[in-house]
Amino acid sequence: MRTQHKVGATLLAIGMAVTLAACGRGDDNGGNGTAASQAPEIDTEGASGDITVWAMGAEGESLSVLADAFMDEFPDISVEVTPVPWDAAHDRIVNAIAGGEVPDVTMVGTTWMGEFAALGGLEPTPANIDGGQFFEGAWNTTIVQGTSYAVPWYVETRLLYYRTDLGVAEAPASWDDLKAAVASMQESGAEWGISLQPGGTGAWQTYIPFFWQAGGEILGEDGTFTLDGEPCVDALTFYDSFFEEGLTPPAAEDVPVEGRFANGEIGSFISGPWMINVVEDAGTDPAAYAVAHQPTEAAGTSFVGGANMAVLADADNKEAGWAFIEYLSRPDVQVTWYETVSALPSVQAAWDEEALSGDERLSTFGEQLEDAKAPPSIPTWEEVAAEIDAVIERVTVGDTTPEDGCAAMQEAAAGIGTGQ
Amino acid sequence: MSTLAPARNLPPAVPASESGGQALGGGSHWWIYVLLAIGLILLVGPFIWMVLGSFKTTGELRQVPPTWWPQNPTLANYEDLFSRLNFLGYFFNSTVVAAAVTAGNVIFCSMMGYALAKLSFRGKKVLFGLVLGTLMVPGMVTFMPLFVLVANIGLVNTHAGLILPFLAGGFGVFLMRQFIGGIPDELLDAARVDGAGEHYIFWRIVMPLCGPAIATLTILTFLGSWNSFLWPLVVATSDTMYTLPVAIALFATGQQETNVALLMAGSVVVIMPVLLVFILLQRHFTQGIAMTGIK
Amino acid sequence: MTGRSDAVGAGSSASTAGQSPRRQELIAWSFAAPFLILFLVFMAGPILVAFVTSFTDFRVTDIRNPLAINFAGLDNYLDVLADPRFQKAAANTSVFVLVGVPLTIVLGLAAAVGLNQGVVKARALFRVGFYLPVVTSIVAIAVVWRLLLGTEVGLINGTLSIFGIDGPGWLSDQRYALWSVIAMAAWRNLGFLMVIFLAGLQTIPRDLYEAAKVDGAGAWQRFRSITLPLLRPTLLFAAVITGIGYVQFFEEVYVMTQGGPLNSTLSLALYAYSQFSFGNYGYTAAIAFVLFIAIAAVTYFQFRVLRTD
Repeated sequence: MRTQHKVGATLLAIGMAVTLAACGRGDDNGGNGTAASQAPEIDTEGASGDITVWAMGAEGESLSVLADAFMDEFPDISVEVTPVPWDAAHDRIVNAIAGGEVPDVTMVGTTWMGEFAALGGLEPTPANIDGGQFFEGAWNTTIVQGTSYAVPWYVETRLLYYRTDLGVAEAPASWDDLKAAVASMQESGAEWGISLQPGGTGAWQTYIPFFWQAGGEILGEDGTFTLDGEPCVDALTFYDSFFEEGLTPPAAEDVPVEGRFANGEIGSFISGPWMINVVEDAGTDPAAYAVAHQPTEAAGTSFVGGANMAVLADADNKEAGWAFIEYLSRPDVQVTWYETVSALPSVQAAWDEEALSGDERLSTFGEQLEDAKAPPSIPTWEEVAAEIDAVIERVTVGDTTPEDGCAAMQEAAAGIGTGQ
Repeated sequence: MSTLAPARNLPPAVPASESGGQALGGGSHWWIYVLLAIGLILLVGPFIWMVLGSFKTTGELRQVPPTWWPQNPTLANYEDLFSRLNFLGYFFNSTVVAAAVTAGNVIFCSMMGYALAKLSFRGKKVLFGLVLGTLMVPGMVTFMPLFVLVANIGLVNTHAGLILPFLAGGFGVFLMRQFIGGIPDELLDAARVDGAGEHYIFWRIVMPLCGPAIATLTILTFLGSWNSFLWPLVVATSDTMYTLPVAIALFATGQQETNVALLMAGSVVVIMPVLLVFILLQRHFTQGIAMTGIK
Repeated sequence: MTGRSDAVGAGSSASTAGQSPRRQELIAWSFAAPFLILFLVFMAGPILVAFVTSFTDFRVTDIRNPLAINFAGLDNYLDVLADPRFQKAAANTSVFVLVGVPLTIVLGLAAAVGLNQGVVKARALFRVGFYLPVVTSIVAIAVVWRLLLGTEVGLINGTLSIFGIDGPGWLSDQRYALWSVIAMAAWRNLGFLMVIFLAGLQTIPRDLYEAAKVDGAGAWQRFRSITLPLLRPTLLFAAVITGIGYVQFFEEVYVMTQGGPLNSTLSLALYAYSQFSFGNYGYTAAIAFVLFIAIAAVTYFQFRVLRTD
């Protein structure tokens, strides 16, 4: 009982730390993922009955707004939305599948896809839903072993947030530009030109884009890991150089970065769309900062995350479940969702709507989404990512060199395997 | 901090007076007050910060350098808690579950403790060892088997599913066995000679003598059950069965960021009943620990 | 651990004299049955299942076909013991227990003695106040402690800088992180021990102190010759509970450091938890049972050393 109290309380704490959370898993097997196999078309027009839907977080609560509109249009279907806390949603879904007590539809963090599909818990997406309408990186997150098992619902990607009042006139376009910009911000008065994660949970989400920008791929053509080699050494050396040259705080600062960004102590950082509200809440003047596309070397790739919607393999009413998911993928519904909770639409057509095309910061996110990838949807990704985090920490602390770090990453990943 | 050690049997007649027993034997010294007061500030400080934080906005909580007093005190977090959350419903669930688990433990563990301490039957020692052993196994590995079991019995998303798995805890048995072991056998034998049955003896003689131990068990069981988060989250498939900690996590923690202010307010609200139980029962608690064989 | 039942056994045979042994057994079982049924089904059962899975390669991908898993013998256990992370976690946990237990006991005892001896008014206030960290959510505590211990923005380093001292990275430097976590754990749990020691102190007869005072013994002497010896059973009690709890320390590191920096605060329980979150259930079960053996050993050891009879 005490132990349970302990586990319970700490899981509550998951939300406090910067966690690996559910973001950003996808399949970068070769990259041309839209050619994925799907289940045959099913009749969603005639669907009826009850469905239960699990959705995470407070956003999950807001989903009932969309569910009501859906029920108006499909009077034969009744939707019950159950909001689930993010912290332990993964465990809850795993236990539900194990115990056979599953909902019909559930939101799935992109990083969980590989695991859930590999254990046979998800239904393949029917051909009714065309993968081409989504951002490629997002659609790839639904593909496991060549088959799509979910539909992207909302997305997020990572951009460079930087202060415009610290001597940086325009967005840095290349790695060298980025380095120069960061250095100049530090000269103009910022204590740290940039805040990069020095290791610890989730550091890979900041590092891996640089790896992709250097031309690296996580999995090779034959499906095995290719984490080392020149792209890794280049990217890791570049990443480490910020620490070596004193341009970023050397240790994980437990005080949230937004407070220090607001008072100009930190000149820039890399993060997702939710930080817009967060930094402005903490007092940053909207006119004093901007967001920029990731720097481009061989590519300007960023990380894509978000959440997908899936139907469970053991669900009672799959047709109605897919009908609901189809509905959620309509561009106008996607826009409504954006207006309700500020989550970025996964459907490309939705971005042409006024609510999104008018906003400058948002269009930068939209642009980046066209060049954004997610790590492969393999069941062992979490474990491999933890190894990558550990290596990043050792490199930034000076415990090991980038070359040795890359070799260590590859060795650890190969040892764990792709689980397929 | 999960178990009490096996301790000696103790006659419950030791008076545990509050004002007696001065360890150093002197009168009051002002400097002790000062030291203790400093200690108190250090220990209570974070709690006060938490309470103050619940009246701030998340933005203010993220400011650097951090503030102490709220700049623009607001009740918004509490309003949010009580309006967005189906507060009464979750509070009810938490209360029902914690009360049932506590009551169940008190009754069943006492009965088992009595059997172990005062009655004879085969396999008694083995059973006691088994019960003790389960206290030392980290809980997380039992989670999935337990859930699959509960699902197969059909108790998912019911109050029973939240309560039953925790009604029989080894900790309670341990505590009650030690305490009851200290009750003089003569007392029980006298009753038996008068023709009283064991059940009568247990309910009418033994339990009333167990006040302090029961108070202790109540406080600790209630604390654990009230704060439980993971099990209610997994067992409740619809939010009508959520308990308070689950509901607070739901609204305060997002995929990427946390509504820290709401979390502070939620933490304050969640802690109140536990604190209340502690304050009401703490005198007995002190005596209770004393009775379980410290001396 | 189970060595206490002899005294109890002697009592019970006398108590049920006059009834047939069969009848006695039945009555005893009637008391034990409700607990036992619930216990065996919901507590012992799952533990047994977990124990069995520790000898298999059970992973999350097997949950829909649990019978298709493979027997792996002692592989999991051997892998655990050979894993450098496990070894690091074991070392950290040992330090945590060896330093943390005495530290928390000393602080708790000091608080109890101070409260008992020096304070007459507001005793309940102090008692509740000192106990507060025990019941406060670890999440809230972590927020505050991170504010205190932040390298650049923390209150402690801020105060030190007033005196011109450059404070180190209390949580971010691998040389200090574990000590910071120990300090936080001691801070959090001393209230619990204080309450226990207060109870123990109540049972020491006042006249002993009076007599000693009359004989001219000073305060410290009285403490050493009267208080400490008579508190020995309480000390055993406190050491055992704290020991068992600290071997499993998890919350504090989970919310503060996640085991970092560079695994310097990785605890055995946190290590088990991370394997659990990767879905390596068989492996996690092996870790859990290794932990169980460690806890049992620590408890037994404390018993042998601190026994008072």
